[in-house]
Amino acid sequence: MSERERDRLIAELRRALHGSERRFDAIVGSLGDPVTIRDREHHFVYANPAAVAHLGFETWEQLRDTSPSSIMSDYLVWSEDGREISMEDIPSVRILRGERAEPLLIRTVNRITGVQRWNLLKAAPLLDDEGEIEATITIIEEVTQQKRSERGSAFLARASAELSSTLDYEQTLRNVADLAVPHIADWCAVDLLDEDGDRRTVAVAHVDPERLRLAEALREYVPDELDPEQGLGKALLSGEAVLYPEINDEMLVQSALDDRHLELLRSVGFRSALIVPMLIGDRVLGAMTLVSAESVVVFDDIDLALAEQTASRAAVAIENSRLYSERSAIARTLQWDLLPEQLPDIPGYELASIYMPALQTSMVGGDFYDVWAVGGSWMVLVGDVTGKGIEAASLTALVRHTVRTASEFESSPAHLLAFVDRTLKKRATLSVCTAMCLRLDHDEATFAVGGHPLPLCVTADRVRELGEHGPLLGAFADVRWQDFTVKLKPGATLVAYTDGVTDARDDSGERFGAQRLERTLAELVSRPATEVVERLTATLEAFQVGAHADDTAALVLRRLPASELTRDNLPGQDVERTQSITTQA
Amino acid sequence: MVRPTRFEVAEATQSATLVLSIAGELDLNTATELARRVEDGLGRGASRVTLDLSALTFMDSSGLRLLIELDQRAGRDSWELGLIAPKHESASAVLRLTGADLALPFEGPV
Repeated sequence: MSERERDRLIAELRRALHGSERRFDAIVGSLGDPVTIRDREHHFVYANPAAVAHLGFETWEQLRDTSPSSIMSDYLVWSEDGREISMEDIPSVRILRGERAEPLLIRTVNRITGVQRWNLLKAAPLLDDEGEIEATITIIEEVTQQKRSERGSAFLARASAELSSTLDYEQTLRNVADLAVPHIADWCAVDLLDEDGDRRTVAVAHVDPERLRLAEALREYVPDELDPEQGLGKALLSGEAVLYPEINDEMLVQSALDDRHLELLRSVGFRSALIVPMLIGDRVLGAMTLVSAESVVVFDDIDLALAEQTASRAAVAIENSRLYSERSAIARTLQWDLLPEQLPDIPGYELASIYMPALQTSMVGGDFYDVWAVGGSWMVLVGDVTGKGIEAASLTALVRHTVRTASEFESSPAHLLAFVDRTLKKRATLSVCTAMCLRLDHDEATFAVGGHPLPLCVTADRVRELGEHGPLLGAFADVRWQDFTVKLKPGATLVAYTDGVTDARDDSGERFGAQRLERTLAELVSRPATEVVERLTATLEAFQVGAHADDTAALVLRRLPASELTRDNLPGQDVERTQSITTQA
Repeated sequence: MVRPTRFEVAEATQSATLVLSIAGELDLNTATELARRVEDGLGRGASRVTLDLSALTFMDSSGLRLLIELDQRAGRDSWELGLIAPKHESASAVLRLTGADLALPFEGPV
């Protein structure tokens, strides 16, 4: 009912009260919204059938004979912001006190049934012929459904924001539990299962910290072996949600292990409880327990659905965070060890790298890069071993160390790739690898490519691929590689990358591709290497929503222009040309 | 978290030749599935396996690795592997980039 309609109705009622009773009933009696009229002593003088039912009575006479304060005492009443509402705050009472009464939104919980409702109370005075207030009329608009759904969505949005705010999931779960009280429950607890199936309570929340001691005392009574048939045990072991709408004393007596336990259970004042599993597929990560106690609310299917949605979002957050930490742990022990801890400073050059490990299960991918000095030259290696896990890691180590060691006595990148190829072919299982190997002597870069994307050269006028493709390492018989040489102008930038960059996929399945990469780089002409890396990373992350399906690595090597050179720099020549030096491998 | 890959395998057997026509993307996720299908075929006694990759829209290094593996096994276990090149550039690129176009038993140019 709109504001205007309500006002018009009340005006109508004012007139009708002085008209015939039949006309009055015709207007008000058939209304869906409850309407009551109270006299100056707050007694009901009229209630339409909807109001009689709304207030929990069977007949008008029963309602008439019950005092308003006794009706009020059957309910716990709060304002929207959680403040307790007394009789004095009710609009009709305020009107009789001569105050202006704005419509009041209240949340009521019936102390007996535990049913909660949201009502919008709007009251207006009914004046007698002298203009004195004779009675008040109240229209009760029930907005339970919309308010619960509105508050449910708001809670879920806040919980989701909380859950995605950090990867420290235990802390976020505690924050979510804190959010849940008192809005959706009086108590909220979160239990997690670790890999071995051991249970751990990571969060218990209650508005009153004093009451939390009860939870601690109660926790001593939780057995190590949970009952798979009920409660937390059922949620954790079978992955099923459990709803106990009404918890009575008999149930407490049955589950109490001794007198003190029963006493503790009784002091919690359990009214209703629900336990929802946190699931990823069929896998139970933990459970969220919500308890209604002093608020006397009886949980229903709407509460259950909200709790399930919250638990499901929490599960995703936990999973992501665990994968991330697991992945990070493996990456730290294996993969990061396979990357240089710090890129060296190459005089006259600026060097920056991108490394984004695939965030997929516990897979360790095989992208790697390395930069090191040999004599007066610098070596740059970027590669990708196929395979995953420990195997990929050991292969990466093999390739990297083979090239490093061989570079002490072999200067041709093509020969170095051939050397790696032979080494890989000696392994018992198929071991293949792509690589771009480059030697930098002052302003001259000599490189060879094996099954790997060609390096890109970014200069003021264009972005272009350098050199030609050579075969994959470790895969084929009778193959050879070729060295290419390029002179780097001041300000020119070399970009060596792995296929994780071009294979990055967006929501629709489209690949990032070489053209998009070239376009991105074209906008970064003569920008510092660190900026190229930042922009490329940002572009890739914006392109592929979610996790990187594959490892992604890139090295950006920029020859500093004269304006940015320090006295450590090396002189270069302002020419750029590519020449092919065919090398027998 | 990771979206499913589009991938389909159609199977046809002509005497002792198993022809697997693969459409979609051959990557880490789908290479395992293709490997299993080849394995099944060999288990049923096929002496020649032809992989028709013409409808492949994408292949990454995992897909390529499977082809190399099958080629090496075919030589060792004396069965024959035949490959029909992908039509899509996004699938054939990796073959040319790695030299697999020349080294693997493709029927015709890649």
